[in-house]
Amino acid sequence: MKQDFRVVDHYIPRRESMDKALGQISYTDDLNLPGQAYAVVVRSPYSSATVLHIDVSEAEKVPGYLGCLLPDEVPAALYNPSGNPPAELLLKDVHVLTKEPKFIGDRLLCIAAETPEACREAARLVKLEFEINAPILNIRDAMAEGARQIEPHLSDNNIVRHRQVAQGDVSSKGPIVLKGHFSTQPMQHVPIEPTACLCDFSSGRELTVYSNSQTVFQERRIVAEVLGLKETQVRFIKPAVGGGFGSRQQLHSQPVIALMSKKLKRPVKCVYTREEEMTAVAVRLGSEVDIEISAEEDGTLQSFETNYLANIGPYTVHGPTIVAGASRKVEYRIPNYLFNGYSVLTNDICGGAFRGYGNTQLSFGREILMERMAKRLGMDPIEFRLKNHVKVGECFPGLNTPVTSCAIEACAARANEIRSRIDAAEGILWNEDVHQAWGTAFATHGSGPSSREGLSSAVIMINDDGTVRVLVGSADIGQGSETMICQIVAETLGAALEDIQIKAADTLLTPYDTGTFASSQTFVCGNAVTLAAQDARDKLLAQIKETEPEADVQNAGTGFTISRPGTAEETLTFREAVRKVSFNQHGGVIIGSGSYKAQASPPPFVVCLVKAEYFPKFNSIRLLHIIEVADVGTPINRLTVEGQLEGGIAQGVGYALMERMELNHLTKKTLSTDLLHYRIPQAGDMPPTHVEIVDGYEPTGPHGAKSVGEVATVPVGPAIVNAVSAATERELNKIPLCDEFVILSHNAGRRSAT
Amino acid sequence: MSMVTITLNNVQCSFETGPQETLLQLLREKAGLTGVKCGCELGECGACTVIYNGRAVNSCCILAEQAGGANIITIEGIGTAEHPHPLQQAFIDAGAIQCGFCTPGMILSAKALLDRNPHPDEETIREALSGNLCRCTGYSKIVEAVQLAVSRMEQEAQR
Repeated sequence: MKQDFRVVDHYIPRRESMDKALGQISYTDDLNLPGQAYAVVVRSPYSSATVLHIDVSEAEKVPGYLGCLLPDEVPAALYNPSGNPPAELLLKDVHVLTKEPKFIGDRLLCIAAETPEACREAARLVKLEFEINAPILNIRDAMAEGARQIEPHLSDNNIVRHRQVAQGDVSSKGPIVLKGHFSTQPMQHVPIEPTACLCDFSSGRELTVYSNSQTVFQERRIVAEVLGLKETQVRFIKPAVGGGFGSRQQLHSQPVIALMSKKLKRPVKCVYTREEEMTAVAVRLGSEVDIEISAEEDGTLQSFETNYLANIGPYTVHGPTIVAGASRKVEYRIPNYLFNGYSVLTNDICGGAFRGYGNTQLSFGREILMERMAKRLGMDPIEFRLKNHVKVGECFPGLNTPVTSCAIEACAARANEIRSRIDAAEGILWNEDVHQAWGTAFATHGSGPSSREGLSSAVIMINDDGTVRVLVGSADIGQGSETMICQIVAETLGAALEDIQIKAADTLLTPYDTGTFASSQTFVCGNAVTLAAQDARDKLLAQIKETEPEADVQNAGTGFTISRPGTAEETLTFREAVRKVSFNQHGGVIIGSGSYKAQASPPPFVVCLVKAEYFPKFNSIRLLHIIEVADVGTPINRLTVEGQLEGGIAQGVGYALMERMELNHLTKKTLSTDLLHYRIPQAGDMPPTHVEIVDGYEPTGPHGAKSVGEVATVPVGPAIVNAVSAATERELNKIPLCDEFVILSHNAGRRSAT
Repeated sequence: MSMVTITLNNVQCSFETGPQETLLQLLREKAGLTGVKCGCELGECGACTVIYNGRAVNSCCILAEQAGGANIITIEGIGTAEHPHPLQQAFIDAGAIQCGFCTPGMILSAKALLDRNPHPDEETIREALSGNLCRCTGYSKIVEAVQLAVSRMEQEAQR
């Protein structure tokens, strides 16, 4: 239940934000090592081809040219670059360099030079001869009779895995049946910091990698395996990271750059161009999803059946895991549930992890159908969803872990209040020029991998002045996890927040963590940190007792009390207690440790409401308001949680309205190679957002916390489509909406003269 | 190679430069000002924004040789940890900083706006920041941070 906290559940500015505001924090490209060379990866210009000949003779003439790596010079072993822990679904099918590229952006060879400019010039002069195949760029073509097989060693029908989850009998339907086919596009992450790595393998024995990484321990494991090293020979260090969202949950070019460093016996840096960032970095999977739902006349859901096809690109990477993840995120009480998910290979841009991880695509169609069902039943769309929503003690369809906290009704009530306030102030226009309407969507996700494979550990070392050093393996990629972890330590230990120092995500110095993905940090790492802090606190108490064998020593708030026979009770603050034991004859050094293997993945919940307007004469749409009210259990840092909600909304706005890899149908290549041809929301595009956190408490979470990162973006797409559907009185099944409507930026026509 | 002399964060500096070097490259690699971020080198993301003769510009789109005689302010030139610029402090306090990669450019675009219009309305702020992409925050807290800085600077001016 909700408690009053001293450090968590407050608005706390990020601890590194001053360095960021001053421009003083170092990202990967800001690091340099003595003697460093530069490298670029030469990539395939074709979606499917065989390299017949590589000629680097002209490249070699470029001043500053240092060398190249060709496919035959690197280990031939296949690997899976996914930053997930080892699992049966992670099939190995990626080469360090390939002679048979399967998408535009596949790695062919690597060129090194003294400067980045010389690298690019030399790469431009590499002559490549190809045999080109007709690419398979969508799910339909990949599944067509007689289609070319993209990975014949894994599949004979371009489907790498079929995931089925069944409960009850979906032939047992309610009288009202609705079905739909829904399409979502591949979406690029667009972190503002380009992908980069700096590898030092000049000794040939020990490899150090600085890179934007979400999963340093998985990356260490895979690179060690690919290069035939022990994990002690590989060190991954994560500097400041300029956004991840899943894009750095897979290895990028670290293996080939490490090999180049070994070859040159020099450190080597590689920074992607924005074009590489757009075309060679894994995207959110495109999807084609059929859903059928049925309900009783009173609005009780009876069945949910889906056929979920994911365009995973040419390599499996995360594909089958993403599809499996999608099957576990349905938050309604549905007795008859059938999920059939298929990972479909194509020569489209390679798919990978992206905030929402399969859930986004299924929730899209599901929440649109839920809205239509409410309308069909004549029920309020929020009431209809609440009527069918799982409660504490119940399980999601197909799962056997009961929900342990759920404040969805409070979320809905608060969202309704905010909507009423907006409508009281602005009204809802509906005339021949403009139609305004609201749309609804609910969403959930996990707190950590829904497969419950989250694992994290922490070490807490207490210095003799009472300050505290925390070591964790989990990576802060901009979401604020380091501050969150320090708050949990301070709260649990009884120390002051400003006395906590953290070192994170360096495989040499910090203990294991599965990685920053699946919204794990707060719940999985937070639980490990809580255990470590409790361990340290227990050890401190035990040591005070050793120094005071005659006294009764007790925890008292953040400090301790010592009651000696015949004297007044003494009170020690945390700092005083540490000083007392540090230099005492019977004292010692306090080091706490904790390890947490996730036993659960408690779902957070969000209610999202969107108000949109439609101008029939111009076929244009504009977003007016977006409300998100969330149950994240205890918000460890309210400022960060609000920021996650607002940022998740913005990514959902881009997804629903305009982000897509546009295809030139003549060349079969994407036009979306930069940020003019792939528009993400700008400051003027965003409508007013209203985010709130309701009171919640997750009994299995650290101080009652659940996750927030991914759930924030999941409902936004369908809520926007539902609002636009209501305003246009059209059934919409496909995003981005820019294919159908002229999108007006929120700011358009509103700016006053400056 | 030729020499270019610029006034950089109020100090006159000379650098050797070549015909293909951008101002962004010069600032990061020769002046060591890595607070100037490189996000796209195409003038699209705004991470490399500097204040150039009073205006916010993308330093990747200016050749170093063109910058001769210019007065250039980077994020390193507007505040320190002891005395941060009101915009820097407001970005911290409002939670406007997540990954931080867009932050230097965002703060400089905001500063260039406030230098010429100390009392902008919300739409004007959003317009002024539209050349600076942020993927983390959804911009709400960035706009709030600029408004917070405006009100603090107004209070400071009234003292």
